[in-house]
Amino acid sequence: MSEPFEPKIIAFVCTYCTYAGADLAGTSRLKYAPNVRIIRLPCTGRISPMFILKALQKGADGVLISGCHPGDCHFTHGNYHARRRWMVFRALLDFIGIPPERVKYSWISAAEGVKFAEFINTVTEDIRKLGPFEQYSQLIEQTQASASL
Amino acid sequence: MSIEEQYRTRAKELLSGGAVKMVIGYGKGTTASRRRPLFISSPDDVERLVLDDACITNLSGYLVSEGLLSDEKRVAVFLRPEGIRAVNILAAESQLDAEQIVIFGFDVSGTEVRALKGIHVEEFSDVIGSIKEGAPEASEEELFEKIEKMSPQERFSFWQEEFAKCIKCYACRQACPMCYCRRCIVDSNQPQWVNTSSHSLGNFEWNIVRAFHLSGRCVECGNCDRACPVNIPLRLINHRMAEEVLGAFDHFAGMSKTQEPVLASFKKDDSETFIL
Repeated sequence: MSEPFEPKIIAFVCTYCTYAGADLAGTSRLKYAPNVRIIRLPCTGRISPMFILKALQKGADGVLISGCHPGDCHFTHGNYHARRRWMVFRALLDFIGIPPERVKYSWISAAEGVKFAEFINTVTEDIRKLGPFEQYSQLIEQTQASASL
Repeated sequence: MSIEEQYRTRAKELLSGGAVKMVIGYGKGTTASRRRPLFISSPDDVERLVLDDACITNLSGYLVSEGLLSDEKRVAVFLRPEGIRAVNILAAESQLDAEQIVIFGFDVSGTEVRALKGIHVEEFSDVIGSIKEGAPEASEEELFEKIEKMSPQERFSFWQEEFAKCIKCYACRQACPMCYCRRCIVDSNQPQWVNTSSHSLGNFEWNIVRAFHLSGRCVECGNCDRACPVNIPLRLINHRMAEEVLGAFDHFAGMSKTQEPVLASFKKDDSETFIL
């Protein structure tokens, strides 16, 4: 008997907006899918594309990235830099064949607990429909195979 | 007088007058069709310089060799337009002082070699501007378009097959004038971001990281592509990235020595259609 597929999702969020938004979702007793593992970072500008690759490498089926709305950054322009980086990285992932649906970006402020809960729910559902990221997990399996000549 | 003769004479003058301490050019290679980098510091050696349509390597990477420019003396170098753009980027990223670089500019169309007028990078801005305006080169466009039309799964399989050949020799990095980091991210092991073994996952990650670090900086000189011992079409990824920054941010790498690096700058109205 096989277990139904539960997507594993990693969320990289900035501490000043989205993390506080997630906090608000919690204190407001909003329910959202338990599939997401949140990683808190100082700013979206701190989110290196390496983090996304690492999450996929460790078997994530989807990655979320979220931070302050443009103009709201605690460090004044970290999210503007991040936005450019994502734009380019997104095109690169697409060209390499990693479907853009697996990596999602959003702006969620500290006041948007509802938006946070809805975002997590829709993305979880989308990724559940896409199914496990099999092409990538095949690559991961190869890395675990014993050495052969 | 052929351009080869002209440049030999100019190199001789510069070296004997002490205006430059070294000329980096092309010399004869191991076979008739190959050229290898030549480093000349004596005026007697200028006869060894060769300039013809086989001179395709971008020599600008040698300029950031450790200690070469630290004595503030000038160095002359043979560069095609891509090489001149690369010098602009290196100057914009504070890797060298463009004043120290004396350029022997040339361009090749078919088998014809023609000289580009100018000594310092600023004087070539028209040439670079016309490349930006000009249509992208037709070579390999067929394969590029084929990849663009694929579904993500097909594209993944295509690159999986290509990257399976990768032996992680890092020749692409060594050949690239833009890959000057003293400590490359793949050489760091705390934390180990990229798998070092040459299995497909590690190869995927390495090639994604390489392409990302070059986006908005690559001048498409083709050094990486030619250096690759297993013929992975790396130029296609670089080309896609160059296309992206040109389309999204109107950024053409290497326009001037003061151009802001595209990923180290921003505009408040940058596109964000993909952000929910």
